Amino acid sequence: MKLMDYMEGSSMLKKYGIESIRSKYVNSKEEAIRFADGKSIVLKLISEKQLHKANAGLVKVNLDTNANIEKAFDELKGKGKSLSPYKIIAQDSAKQGVEAIIGSRVDSQFGKLILFGLGGSYVEALKDVSIRLCPIDKYQAGQMIEQLRSSALITHNGKATERIESLLMQASKMIEKENIEELDLNPVIIREDGYDIVDIRVLG
Amino acid sequence: MDYKANLHKMLKPRSVAIIGASRNPGKVGNVILNNYLDGGYDGKLYPVNRNADMVSGLKAYKSVLDIHSSIDLAVIAIPAEFVPAAMEECGKAKVKNIVVVSGGFAEVGATELQDKMVNIANKYKIPTLGPNCLGVMDPRARSDTMFLPTYKLSKPKIGGVSFVSQSGAVGSTVLDMIAKEGFGLSKFISYGNAAHIDEVDIIDYLMHDEETKVIVMYIEGVKHGREFFEIARKATLKKPIVVIKGGQTAAGAQAASSHTASLAGSYESYDAMFRQAGFSIAKDLSELVYLAKIFASEPLPNGKRVAVITNGGGTGVLTTDAISANGLDVAEYSEQTKKELRKCMPSIVNIRNPLDMAGDADSKRYSDAMSAISKDPNIDMLIVITLFQTPGADSSVAAKLISYKSAMDKPMIVISTGSDYTEMHKIMMESTGLPVYDSPNAAARSLAELLKYAQYRNAYSKK
Repeated sequence: MKLMDYMEGSSMLKKYGIESIRSKYVNSKEEAIRFADGKSIVLKLISEKQLHKANAGLVKVNLDTNANIEKAFDELKGKGKSLSPYKIIAQDSAKQGVEAIIGSRVDSQFGKLILFGLGGSYVEALKDVSIRLCPIDKYQAGQMIEQLRSSALITHNGKATERIESLLMQASKMIEKENIEELDLNPVIIREDGYDIVDIRVLG
Repeated sequence: MDYKANLHKMLKPRSVAIIGASRNPGKVGNVILNNYLDGGYDGKLYPVNRNADMVSGLKAYKSVLDIHSSIDLAVIAIPAEFVPAAMEECGKAKVKNIVVVSGGFAEVGATELQDKMVNIANKYKIPTLGPNCLGVMDPRARSDTMFLPTYKLSKPKIGGVSFVSQSGAVGSTVLDMIAKEGFGLSKFISYGNAAHIDEVDIIDYLMHDEETKVIVMYIEGVKHGREFFEIARKATLKKPIVVIKGGQTAAGAQAASSHTASLAGSYESYDAMFRQAGFSIAKDLSELVYLAKIFASEPLPNGKRVAVITNGGGTGVLTTDAISANGLDVAEYSEQTKKELRKCMPSIVNIRNPLDMAGDADSKRYSDAMSAISKDPNIDMLIVITLFQTPGADSSVAAKLISYKSAMDKPMIVISTGSDYTEMHKIMMESTGLPVYDSPNAAARSLAELLKYAQYRNAYSKK
């Protein structure tokens, strides 16, 4: 299994109508500042040697001034010394919402599975997830949402349900068709009126 | 349909050869033969025993090849090493089905011996169940290959529930448990190592079996995951399947490389498959029994609004709690119902749901309440609580409920908790198809699973 390049992952999602947050690899502070163009951004260090980025301090958020961007960039470069080869990626800051996870793995008995649930830092703590065999239809997508203890929270009391259902169906189609052994879209930040996929990890 | 799924003659054999029919009481083959004799089986019985001319008063044969008559089912109960040779003879004698009761195959590492067995079954195209299993039972056909002495195990009556168990021990325990329930058994299939006939074949057979209304399964693991899923989702569009999974320990979340890998372990993937295929999942054996019970007798509900009538206030409250906790709604009576109830209930009765008719409620009061509530369009399901310890509750109440039940097209169940006097009335009501639960939670959970299945059927029958 090999970790897919982040930007390749992003364009694979796009093929299935799934948008992820605007992202770009940056090689210098200046490039990062140009990407930000005055708006708040996030910088992340991506290396196969450290898969749990947030825990390892490889994600710098809310960088809303040039000074902050420069400082974060330097810090990441420092940490990168022991994680080479690595890349630094710049992303738009996502708007506030509920953090969800969409995932996948291959089960030896049942083949490709899709997983949905409460994401971000709650994943391991609450284990509030639902799982189905790929592909799924609209009814099963709805059931995956309904099965969660946190379904009202994740769907913003049902307002985001339709959008999540189609997102899950599109994701299941992608998992089914592409060479994906493991997938973590985590977090997918869900708002009443949309979502942002902020991190993509594909093993294929 | 695969020939391995054509099990009609295995379940309803008109001729049975018992290979290893010993003269020694207590030996497996001897117990099986005597169970056939004691159980009133009226087909042909052929004991096969190399060292005897007669067993239990029947002529014995040295080999199935000496029988020279058609054999629907051969039950093999001899040491594992001799099984392949016996099966070879069955093949030559054109035996139609085989049940291998004997253990000592893959479950103890003897995979070669098991492969040998399967090769012979394939060569002669004989559906072969087991090895390492209790075999099959069909109370209508009075056929039973289990080697359990009849006095130790109560047998369920005839009914519509078919029970499939990978484990013989769980199988016989559940059979014993359901013997005291009102619903009866259609088929029992204990399939052990699933060397030849597996879960896919069994579901394929039972989904087409007219006598089977509900399928109940104990599964530890299936051999062909996707195939099982495909056949199972076809089966649940015809009839409900209640399942319990053995081996629910979480797969060791050893340094998982992704969140999904640690969250979607082996049990979770089974759970996902069961849900997706429209199964009802039981958490323990008693739940397995009470879910089987609801599916065996009740029509599918149109919605989740539940009415409760009771002769005990506290139990009514507990039931209301259980209804909400299981995702159902406490119904609001229609104005018409309220008007009718106000007319016929004594003034101490509050006209609301749950309807607490007080401890002195007798068959007249139950009848009046039922008459108003049973036709209320705002109600999808009905729970009647009858605490038989109260002065008003007696057999005439049970009789009243039975007569309303027979005219009811919505799910209607009873909660009665108690000992001998209650148990007597439970048997009375259940024998007519009115299910009785001993706890509010069991009742509400059963109705919730019934509704979930109804919704699943609705979602997929439109397509």
